[in-house]
Amino acid sequence: MNRSEKLLQTIQERGLQPKPGWRFALSRVGGMGVFVVSVVLGALAFSVVLFAIQQTDFNVLQHLKHSRLELWLGLLPLLWIAFMAVFVGLSMVVSRRTGKGYKLTWQRLAIWSFGLSILMGTAFFISGGAARIEGVFASRVELYESIQDKKMRIWSFPEEGYFAGTIESVGDSTLFIHDFKGTRWTIDITGAFVPPLVALRIGERVKFVGKMTAPASFTADQVRPWGGQGVGWDGPGGPR
Amino acid sequence: MIATSERCLTFSDEELLARAPQDMAYFQCLYDRYEARLLRYIHRLVWVAGEEAADILQDAFLKIWTNLHAYHPALKPSSWIYRIVHNEAISWLRKRRAYGRDQQTTWEASPEAQAMSECQPEGADQQQAIAGILALLHPNHREVLVLRFLEEMSYAEISDVLRLPEGTVATRINRAKAAFAQAAAKSNLSFTW
Repeated sequence: MNRSEKLLQTIQERGLQPKPGWRFALSRVGGMGVFVVSVVLGALAFSVVLFAIQQTDFNVLQHLKHSRLELWLGLLPLLWIAFMAVFVGLSMVVSRRTGKGYKLTWQRLAIWSFGLSILMGTAFFISGGAARIEGVFASRVELYESIQDKKMRIWSFPEEGYFAGTIESVGDSTLFIHDFKGTRWTIDITGAFVPPLVALRIGERVKFVGKMTAPASFTADQVRPWGGQGVGWDGPGGPR
Repeated sequence: MIATSERCLTFSDEELLARAPQDMAYFQCLYDRYEARLLRYIHRLVWVAGEEAADILQDAFLKIWTNLHAYHPALKPSSWIYRIVHNEAISWLRKRRAYGRDQQTTWEASPEAQAMSECQPEGADQQQAIAGILALLHPNHREVLVLRFLEEMSYAEISDVLRLPEGTVATRINRAKAAFAQAAAKSNLSFTW
């Protein structure tokens, strides 16, 4: 008996059958599915990272006397950066193992996976989806410190000239606000730069750059909308 | 049922793979077609010969049989078959190394060298020396040199067998050539590619 006959005999003795084709097709489709889902989740995480960068005034940090490193690390959306890294990494591993993915180097796979996630994430961020995801996360996950919470932290240094709160009432050149701890403050906005997009009305949350003059009193050089930096950041009258 | 090896010749590898699930005789044709070169490949890769190499080949073909439907026509059948045989041989080598990890032996006393001396033709000193140097190389280097220069595969085919990007294959071949030249110099063997 030659070796090929022995091979056939072994197959028959062990009752071996070729595995059905649908299992392999399913595995290929599954691999593609995991790749697509990973890229999409990576994109969603990236959109929230963009949202966090947009919402957090990282450039304020250099003007604060408080430990900058501590603040900077605290403000970074580390969780979302980690999510993005995990999902993009997963999509790379899956695509490397699917079809002819092995033909691509890890660098190329990284470029493709990151590229797709960044493109889709940017589109999702522009459409406003990132804010919704972040909001849902903040309301459902107890331990999660939302981007808004982090932002409130950085705008709670009146003694260093950075302050925010919600308008309670509006006077001629004075605003009465309550800060995030509920303390009532008087803000002098005489001579302050108020961009047109800032609506000084009751219930509006605004940020101030200026100087604390007395306990619960603040003189503003700039009034900014809560979302974004407003205008005139780098120009005359910008932060010290 | 095909009975003669002459009839096997009328079918391409793709046809044999496609027909094998319905009729094992086509699978037998495939085995017969590849047996000699795959046994030679196993010997070059992991330095075993005779029945041990035949056992590795049989195990690989049992895997090919159960995974016949995993074959995708985007790949050359030979590359797919070599890949499975390669993996089986490497897996066998790892198992054996794990088994004898604590044994410190010289190359001359190693089972690889013994297997090699049994299989090399008499008087083929140069060939034997080359085989001896190949055996001393890191498996990553040895496998690309064997595939490229002894199995005479293209970079694309090696890439499919080893599941590596072609650029990585090229780099690995260059490094392997340098490692081979270094090992050859130590053995006072002059060698040009």
